[in-house]
Amino acid sequence: METDGSISADEASQALASARSARARATWGGYPAWYWFATGAVLATSPVAVLLPDGWYLALLAVAVVSMAYVARAAGRARGICEGWTRQGMSRREALVLYGPTIVVILANGVASRYAGWLPWLPIVAAILVFVLFAGAGLTLTARVARR
Amino acid sequence: MNSPPDTEQTTADEDGFDHLIHAPARLRICAALEPVWEIEFGSLLTMLDISKSALSKHISTLADAGYVTQRRAVRDTRQRVWLRLTDAGRSAYRGHVDALQRIVGGA
Repeated sequence: METDGSISADEASQALASARSARARATWGGYPAWYWFATGAVLATSPVAVLLPDGWYLALLAVAVVSMAYVARAAGRARGICEGWTRQGMSRREALVLYGPTIVVILANGVASRYAGWLPWLPIVAAILVFVLFAGAGLTLTARVARR
Repeated sequence: MNSPPDTEQTTADEDGFDHLIHAPARLRICAALEPVWEIEFGSLLTMLDISKSALSKHISTLADAGYVTQRRAVRDTRQRVWLRLTDAGRSAYRGHVDALQRIVGGA
């Protein structure tokens, strides 16, 4: 087995696994459930916004952005972790799992509402889907780290 | 094997392997601090599941090396200590992880 001085490949592999586990705990651990529900609810307003009169969409977007920042700050205080604005510990795969389905539903709702005519139930179904998919993914990722 | 620069002490080899960071608890501390801005001492304690005295000792070692900074802040009438990886610490940790990956890759 190749070594680097006193470190074997097995030891290096174990050290990397330990570092990955600690990083995952810092990234996903300790999130209160209300964070995922609250953020999911805010994101769910996006599909419903098409039901609003013109001009109200931007106002709703502004409220949504401020609400998400407030919720994220409150969750950070509860976790005892400040993530900052740019540093994100989540991997691309985790980001895809968390945001991917939500973005697909929001975009699909946007396309459908533009080309499929007036279907009042569509934004409501999309909003429910966005909430369930985002909150479900977030809770699952947090629970997975807690089980490690 | 070690070749410290003229201006500052280093605990890393030329290949980035850092003996100070490699201690299991310190590696986990750096790994937890690396992706975030700062972590409160109590949260890190829970996260890493080690004793308070051991965490304090490792933080002091990392702080003495210039890898971690500590900030005290009062919240809910209690004083809390927030820990942050410095730029030097972040760079040393990433170099150390790269060195570990090379060792694993070369096996």
